[in-house]
Amino acid sequence: MTETTNPAHAKIDETVKANTVVLFMKGTKEMPQCGFSSRVAGVLNYMGVDFSDVNVLADDGLRQGIKDYSDWPTIPQLYVKGEFVGGCDIITEMTLSGELDTLFDDNGVGYDKDAANKIREANG
Amino acid sequence: MSMTDKIRDRLETAFSPTELEVVDDSESHRGHAGYQEGGESHFNVRIRAAEFAGRSRVARHRAVHAALGDIVPRIHALALDIDS
Repeated sequence: MTETTNPAHAKIDETVKANTVVLFMKGTKEMPQCGFSSRVAGVLNYMGVDFSDVNVLADDGLRQGIKDYSDWPTIPQLYVKGEFVGGCDIITEMTLSGELDTLFDDNGVGYDKDAANKIREANG
Repeated sequence: MSMTDKIRDRLETAFSPTELEVVDDSESHRGHAGYQEGGESHFNVRIRAAEFAGRSRVARHRAVHAALGDIVPRIHALALDIDS
């Protein structure tokens, strides 16, 4: 995390701390506007995870601010319990390896284990 | 020099990879956000290098982002498959 006075950071910090699972994405979880955001939102939806979505396209300050906040140049970005987990490639890998299940287990995040297994079976 | 070659050059220099594949995948995103005529907007990189061993996924990605430097904000999408 970078220490700056960027006003967007305080808001981001508040958001990631107030919501157990947050996805910063292009578009919304109901209507993603980018294939990479769509993939991560799709995995979380399919696994039945209760998550908050933040549409970075709705706010230019946020769109750049989230990249500086996490020192990560791309969107989507997933946060669990205030910690940055990764972008589309990392979430995909963690879903297929089962690491995402473990992360959710460790943080008390509810999800449908059968659905997660189905994703792995379909992509094994 | 094409963007594909620039990406390959920087990764070769930074990591001396044992395997490196850089694919300009822009055409498959034709009509999607970020697509530009002539390609050079969406890239897939597969890299294997010893120095990624024992590093977290996020740390591996950050190392690649750092090596690519000013290229990252100039392209629309970069899919990374990184391992040791």
